Amino acid sequence: MRKIEAKSICKKFDDLEVLKSIDMTVDEGEVVAIIGPSGGGKSTFLRCLNKLETINGGTIIIDGETLVSTDENGNVRYADNSSRIACRMGMVFQQFNLFPHMTVLENLMEAPVHVQKRNPAEVQKEAEALLEKVGLLDKRDQYPLRLSGGQQQRVAIARALCMKPDIMLFDEPTSSLDPELTGEVLKTMRNLAEDHMTMVVVTHEMGFAREVATKVLFMADGYIQEQGTPEEVFGNPKNERLKSFLKSILK
Amino acid sequence: MDYIISIIPQMLMGTVDTLRLFFITIVLAIPLGILLAFCRVSSFKLLRDVVAAYVYVLRGTPLMLQLLFVYFGLPFIPVIGIRLDDFPAAVLAFVLNYGAYFCEIFRAGLQAIPRGQFEAAKTLGMNYAQTMKRIILPQVFKIILPPVSNETITLVKDTSLIYVLAMNDLLRTTRNLVQRDFNIMPFVVAAVFYLVMSMILTYGFNKLEKHFARWD
Ligand SMILES: Nc1ncnc2c1ncn2[C@@H]1O[C@H](COP(=O)(O)OP(=O)(O)O)[C@@H](O)[C@H]1O
Ligand SMILES: [Mg+2]
Repeated sequence: MRKIEAKSICKKFDDLEVLKSIDMTVDEGEVVAIIGPSGGGKSTFLRCLNKLETINGGTIIIDGETLVSTDENGNVRYADNSSRIACRMGMVFQQFNLFPHMTVLENLMEAPVHVQKRNPAEVQKEAEALLEKVGLLDKRDQYPLRLSGGQQQRVAIARALCMKPDIMLFDEPTSSLDPELTGEVLKTMRNLAEDHMTMVVVTHEMGFAREVATKVLFMADGYIQEQGTPEEVFGNPKNERLKSFLKSILK
Repeated sequence: MDYIISIIPQMLMGTVDTLRLFFITIVLAIPLGILLAFCRVSSFKLLRDVVAAYVYVLRGTPLMLQLLFVYFGLPFIPVIGIRLDDFPAAVLAFVLNYGAYFCEIFRAGLQAIPRGQFEAAKTLGMNYAQTMKRIILPQVFKIILPPVSNETITLVKDTSLIYVLAMNDLLRTTRNLVQRDFNIMPFVVAAVFYLVMSMILTYGFNKLEKHFARWD
């Protein structure tokens, strides 16, 4: 089943055209890795998918429901329930963005209880199970700032999962971590992929993209310059920008 | 010593007026400041500019001048020219003035919250009110505690400005006693009274700061 369909996405910041025309489809259980030079619009694209940025043109369909569409005259229209559609996607940020005034458990339970209005006792059980899964159950009553970066990011992943999302978006989840801490976060993401979670991951971890992704997109200058399986993109790149990007990053 | 004990009841009476002004100002000026701060960061340019001008004027002129203006000047203004009694006039001037200071403190606090906090709340489906109440404001309160504590202690001392409206607050009561008895002891007692009030506030704010420090 098709989970995300993005067509001709265009995004400008004032005069700066960051996304010129981006197309992407993601099927259920796929893990899509987006790679590319910094400043190429990867974060912006991810943020357009869940409405952290509003687009200037194009269509986004999430799980069969239209989040936003553009008519022939170029008028962009967001669905009335676009916020509800958007939060079916969990998001993991480079900077974690945990709520510092809440304990780990409270971070996980906040939105399921106060937004989704689910039963607190049940949510707590699920939250604890998720913490167990990311290996942080013993930290449930700690405040986030007391944790290492890697632990904070795993809590952030668990917090997003606690909303029972259909899709998980990751924006460079390991880029602000010390090298020795990236492994634990990547392992958590690997487990998630093995559980068939649909994922879109912006990353500089080429090893992860190569081994875990089902599809790799190379984005630069506001376009998807090349896409394919990891074997195709890494083993037999065609686009010149991609070749030089891979050369620079694998050096 | 007997003299000191003999003047204490009167000075306590004066303190009541001082404290009344203090508490009413705090209770009204803090919400006013929060409201103004939200205007100050709103997307309405006109609203932002009006509040910025308000804050500029109220912080750029002496509180004493504002107090005199509200009490003596307002009646002369056409149309709204109302005459307020001394205490309401004092409350109005203090609330308007302290509202401006609290506005700036809250604004700085709001703007100190990283954008990622708003974004995380949004991706979790929280609406504006939920985000503010449950995520942003608790963090803002922690940040603004020290400057609010400063302002509050300044307010205790500023209440003595109502002296010029001939109200019998702690300071004026003190001066009356000094003049009546040719004794400067009331000054010393008044100083102790002000110090005790500041001390209680400092203690309270320290407790609050400790409470908020549990998460860093
Ligand atoms: N809020 C914004 N306002 C203006 N320009 C922005 C904003 N966000 C991103 N940009 C610009 O858009 C371009 C793409 O940024 P980004 O999507 O963060 O790239 P990437 O994630 O691939 O490094 C950059 O030139 C950046 O400066
Ligand atoms: Mg980025």
